[in-house]
Amino acid sequence: MFSTIDRVKPGLQKLVAALRETYPYASVLAVTDDSRAWQIRRSGVVIAANRDGGTGFVVRVFDGVGCAEYSFNEFSEDKIPDICAVMAKRLAEQNAALEGIAPLPTPIPADEPAVLKKTTGWKVHPRELGDEAIVNKITALREKALAVDERVLDAAVAVTYRSYRKLFLSEHRDLDQTVMWTNAAVVVMAARGQELKSAYHPFSVLGGAELLDRMEAGVEQVARDALALLDSQPIPPGEYDCVCDPETTGMIVHEAFGHGVEMDMFVKDRALAREFIGQYVASPLVTMHDGSAVEEAATAFFDDEGTLTGDTVIIDKGILKRGMCDALSAARLGVEPTGNGRRESYERKAYTRMTNTYFQGGDADPEEMIASIEDGFLLESPSSGMEDPKNWGIQCMVTTAKEIKNGRLTGKIYSPIVLTGYVPDLLKSVSMMSRTAVLCGSGFCGKGYKEWVKVSDGGPYMKARIRLG
Amino acid sequence: MIERIKTALARCGITMWRINENVEETAELFFVKKQLDTRRSKDVRKYGVTVFRDVENPEGEKPSRGFTSVQLISSMDDGQIDRELQGAYYAAQFAANPYFDLPDPVQAPMVEKTGELAEAPLAQSAGKMVKALFAADVHQDAFVNSAELFVSRSSHRILSSEGTDVSYTDAKVKGEFVVQCKEPEDVEMHNIYEYNELDGEALSAKVAEALTFVRDRARAQKVLKSGKYDLVLSGNQVATVLSYYEDRSAAHMVYPKYSTWQLGEAVQGETGSERLDITLRATDPYSEEGIPMADLPLLEGGALQAYHGANRFCRYLGVKPTGLYEKLSCANGTLPFEELKKGPCLWAVTFSDFQMDVMSGHFGGEIRLAYLIEDGKAIPVTGGSVNGSILDAQKNLTFSTERYLTARYDGPYAVRMKDISIAGAGE
Repeated sequence: MFSTIDRVKPGLQKLVAALRETYPYASVLAVTDDSRAWQIRRSGVVIAANRDGGTGFVVRVFDGVGCAEYSFNEFSEDKIPDICAVMAKRLAEQNAALEGIAPLPTPIPADEPAVLKKTTGWKVHPRELGDEAIVNKITALREKALAVDERVLDAAVAVTYRSYRKLFLSEHRDLDQTVMWTNAAVVVMAARGQELKSAYHPFSVLGGAELLDRMEAGVEQVARDALALLDSQPIPPGEYDCVCDPETTGMIVHEAFGHGVEMDMFVKDRALAREFIGQYVASPLVTMHDGSAVEEAATAFFDDEGTLTGDTVIIDKGILKRGMCDALSAARLGVEPTGNGRRESYERKAYTRMTNTYFQGGDADPEEMIASIEDGFLLESPSSGMEDPKNWGIQCMVTTAKEIKNGRLTGKIYSPIVLTGYVPDLLKSVSMMSRTAVLCGSGFCGKGYKEWVKVSDGGPYMKARIRLG
Repeated sequence: MIERIKTALARCGITMWRINENVEETAELFFVKKQLDTRRSKDVRKYGVTVFRDVENPEGEKPSRGFTSVQLISSMDDGQIDRELQGAYYAAQFAANPYFDLPDPVQAPMVEKTGELAEAPLAQSAGKMVKALFAADVHQDAFVNSAELFVSRSSHRILSSEGTDVSYTDAKVKGEFVVQCKEPEDVEMHNIYEYNELDGEALSAKVAEALTFVRDRARAQKVLKSGKYDLVLSGNQVATVLSYYEDRSAAHMVYPKYSTWQLGEAVQGETGSERLDITLRATDPYSEEGIPMADLPLLEGGALQAYHGANRFCRYLGVKPTGLYEKLSCANGTLPFEELKKGPCLWAVTFSDFQMDVMSGHFGGEIRLAYLIEDGKAIPVTGGSVNGSILDAQKNLTFSTERYLTARYDGPYAVRMKDISIAGAGE
């Protein structure tokens, strides 16, 4: 698998050398991609292969104006003169059409020597397990969910894996990584007239089809959650003491705070966080990380600009220490990049993007946290969120708020729930954290409304005061 | 490459297939304030191949039919192409669904898009649109913080084992920009745009309107109280609300009974206001499956006229396959906007992310800018959130006579709804 990269690597090295004859910096990122998705629901079985990411190349150069890139997916050594000529022609045309527009001053990022070749592990390769076994497995899981109650309208079960190999070559860098992640999800739907209620449970692993074994236990609970939603009602708007489950904590980490510390937003003067470096932005119980110190779906050894990854501590005991940064933004800001320059695919620009982002665990138990609430809610199953780095406004949605009265769950459920408010207010109100941080990497993150990249997020159960509507 | 794929399909014994050849060239520009951040361009050529496989059922029954798709590129050698196709064909037997006929064959000459956007050099078109984008950015207090522009030209060819061979070209300009106002509060607003023509005038007008809104957001107060309001939505939010009707009438929703809508049914329910007239617009001459696309009346007087969707689900429902639509138009509109938003009401202009949940019918989002309109005054407010249900709101919809046009929507600029739940801010 992925031997194509070995075949074209000498040609790509020659391409970088050829571009360096014209430009003071040149690099190439090559991506080969292997993915497959299996899905079953009432409408049928669907198997789709090689639809994510894609296989191709992106060249980056610096000319007299600044940074420029060219993406393509047809390469052989004899095309090198054509690629160089196309880039030169396009840049000349574009520079002429933009006459009078000044470039954003950008120092050429450092190209310190580095050589790396690493692979993430897996126990069962989905291709080896095979289509028949995987379809049989998800069919059985679906039937298990359908059997819970006749009011279940449908159950959908999906499994996706992506394995990719990336090669980054510049004058001084030769980086090579192979990564595989697998995601799965169970969605169960129940109907109340024209209104369909659905419950969802995601699964993820930095690995392969061994994930399927973890799905068995949760399926029936998803069905019961969907049925419970049939009796849900809109929540009376207000501010409440809440316990967030690890997934909801993860959404708050990612959407409410994480996007605000992506440092390309600092370059644009779009992030309030820039003014709060070194200050308390959260309760001392809050420590936030991003990076590849954990093994989850967004783990990688280097990013899409050839920067090695690590563990970035964003918030340390409530104090904002730093943001995460891509290479170009780092050069503009005069800081070190953190390995967060990521692309949706070789066809897209690199932006500062989160990877595995999470709050560290504390010292409480979830039961103790619920018992501490007189009148509030347990928030579960996040459904969507949107960033507001400029104003730190929260917009997150969760499917379920379970009522807590006098330290006990009453069984009453409200849905859907919108979380609003000011991010530091919420984070400073954090008063308890459970011991274990749990991450999930089943989702993709957009920048604005596009640029979808694989991320994971999470944390422990978290008690905070939150405005719900 | 197409001949290589056809030969490989024959070599692998695959007799039912579709090939989609998609070629795209782009010019992409990224700005911080008015300074050029990055220039990008792209040349990609992709081949999507869908293979179909029948699985025999007991005698007298039609076979089940499965399919799987793969992406191929020309730098693959013949051995790699064979392996990909064989893998897909093997997998297709495990995706066996009830039998359906493949799309009817169509052969036609290439449909070529004409006009400046389709014909001018991409760099030149990008330069023109950049100048249009910054044309309205002439104020000190409110300005464009950052912007992205993508100009693309593409060609598409669809072939099938049934005999389809059609092709067309397309060109688009799209992107996003963020406007910022620093006083009295430092705020920003995010905007997206998409045009099928080189419409610099529309882009300039959109930027000018966004600058007005962000200036108002900067002085907006968090004074919104929780409660029920008459809610006015405008622009893209109207399109998002109306997308409920498009999604609920989709064959892939009706076939599995996620939607119980029947043809002729008054799906808007009993209504004391305007009855919806919605048409789905064809923006490409052919769907991805090679189905000729045509405008499709969807709702007339609030009653469902058609199902729509991909070949398989339309076949299952026994209706003519229509292909997938990307543009909705709505003919409604009875009140000039100035009258529509006469108080008391809340005109919610922009949200952090406004969403419609097709399953539940709930719509909402966090308010970035709204005007609380009462006693002839419009007070800018921010914060809080809308949490509405179209199942309730559709009983009382009133649309503006002013129109709003984007690449994906052609309809009234605004809609007014009664008694929508709003969670307040600053209480």
